[in-house]
Amino acid sequence: MLAYLLMSGIATGALYAMVAIGLVLVYRSTGHINFSHGELFMFGGFIAYTFFVILGVPYFLSLILAVIGGFVLGVLSDRAVYRPLIKAPPLTMVLATVGFSFFLKGIARYFWGSMEGGDYVAFPAAMDPSPIPIGSINVFPQQLLILAGAIVFVVGFTIFFRMTRAGKMMQATSENPTAAYLSGIRVERVYTLTWGAGSAIAAAAAVLMAPMTLLSPDVGFQLLLKAFAATVLGGLGSMPGAIVGGLLVGILESLGGGYIHSGVQDVSAFIVIIIVLVLRPAGLFGVRNIRDT
Amino acid sequence: MQALLARRNIVAVGIIVFAILPTFANAYIVFVANLALMYILLSVGLNMLLGYAGQLAFPNAALFGVGAYTSGLLRLEFDLPYWITLPAGAAFATLIGLAIALPALRLRGLYLALATIAFAQAALWVFGHWNSVTYGGAGFRVPPMDFSPLPLDPSTGIYYLSLIIVLVAVPLGWNIVRSRIGRAWVALRESEVAAETLGIDLTLYKAYAYVISGLYAGTAGALFSALLGIVTPESFDLFQVIVHFCMVIVGGIGSLWGGVLGAVILVGLLEVLRTFRDLQEIAFGGLLLFTVLVVPGGAIAMIKRYLPGWNEPLRRIGKKR
Repeated sequence: MLAYLLMSGIATGALYAMVAIGLVLVYRSTGHINFSHGELFMFGGFIAYTFFVILGVPYFLSLILAVIGGFVLGVLSDRAVYRPLIKAPPLTMVLATVGFSFFLKGIARYFWGSMEGGDYVAFPAAMDPSPIPIGSINVFPQQLLILAGAIVFVVGFTIFFRMTRAGKMMQATSENPTAAYLSGIRVERVYTLTWGAGSAIAAAAAVLMAPMTLLSPDVGFQLLLKAFAATVLGGLGSMPGAIVGGLLVGILESLGGGYIHSGVQDVSAFIVIIIVLVLRPAGLFGVRNIRDT
Repeated sequence: MQALLARRNIVAVGIIVFAILPTFANAYIVFVANLALMYILLSVGLNMLLGYAGQLAFPNAALFGVGAYTSGLLRLEFDLPYWITLPAGAAFATLIGLAIALPALRLRGLYLALATIAFAQAALWVFGHWNSVTYGGAGFRVPPMDFSPLPLDPSTGIYYLSLIIVLVAVPLGWNIVRSRIGRAWVALRESEVAAETLGIDLTLYKAYAYVISGLYAGTAGALFSALLGIVTPESFDLFQVIVHFCMVIVGGIGSLWGGVLGAVILVGLLEVLRTFRDLQEIAFGGLLLFTVLVVPGGAIAMIKRYLPGWNEPLRRIGKKR
């Protein structure tokens, strides 16, 4: 029981971590929280659904197409929402991204919402869904795929961030935008890249998650809240914090749902957010506010 | 000609139209007008918290729900008359508003937004899962209000009750924002440090903002449960938050009358799209984004530019915040 709950907690936690990484990425470089990040996640899932289920493209190709689609959507949302408001205070940016998130949600509901009757569409399993026994526990192949996918994306992303020129530019911009600008980095382009990258990794998470659950236009907001909980727990603005926070939230949820009550699973993220913000707003990794919001 | 369109005249005409509406309009129009009255309360309350005090907080839809659940349940379980259920709903929502204010006072900016969004979702979860009290996800029906000994049928009675409450609450709000409290809110919105230097007790005045907006939201919720006759958790989800935000922003953030206008206009849009959830989301999300990007001052900024007699104190016009 414990091993099983831990396994499923780690798998969902890995997804939360992937969504949280995008959130932290944008927060670190721009100082704003993208409230439409969950909807970018949800759109990634529906793009994959369109290719995989409707057009019959293989799963892994759909995954790549969804990542590309997510990147494009992130770039578009940077152009539409963030760029015009680049100097605006947090209040304005929150309102704009909240408005944008509902706009996207409505569009998704319009196109995909009534596809299979209700608001939910089923995303068929990518491979044989029968559980594989590992040691004493049974593991779903999709959970292993989620873990593998999350590791690939996080490692790949870290390499991109640390090793490549574009990644270093992103780091420099988040450290000090003025200094980055003075040393010849086109800061606005870096912001665009940041939004695109964050959205792409969220899209990947959505495609990995979809076969385990159902897909609906409302799923984005649920994931956004989990990612909020992960980032707040890890410390808003900390990249390792987002990963550890995501895993912890996933495990906490799974254990709470298994041992206390299944309803606890839905509500644990909110409780985590409220408790952490009230008792220790800096989170586990104690990152100081990058920009005083 | 322009002087005729001054705020005083428009408001007077508005009150007269609302007052005589049930004598000539059909039941549906009266229902929509009643919703508009309720949203005016919500918009005025949210505007004080968001627009005047500058607190980026999302508790309003949840407090709206608390008001609706409290008054609806008291009516259903104990069969109490409206003059008890209504104040009870408002009072309980105010109390919860105060309870949120205590932790929220420590938080600012994005942290406040995150904490209050989490609170709103937690409240929604309680509405949906505390089956023994709230009847869970399916909600419950509220018996119609009984206005005896007055010779009023329930829907007309609620309509005039709402109108009277609005006629008290809006002038009250207008006086609050022009009083010491309103000035303190604007000062702390612009700069907490400067406000504190001027001797403004930040904690106290922020708490006022939460409590007063909780009172408005709770009162609106109590009216809502009586008006619709059915209370379900999804009436108080995040979309409701967007509707309130949209009314405040499209009307004009930090402008009480702008919020009132926004409520009256957008109720129409909400009703036209009633059966199309997707189009409602596209319209309200898009409108919120559009207003923030293109007309940051909202409709009231346009009105003020062209018409005299709409000025308000403590208000920056059309400037990006």
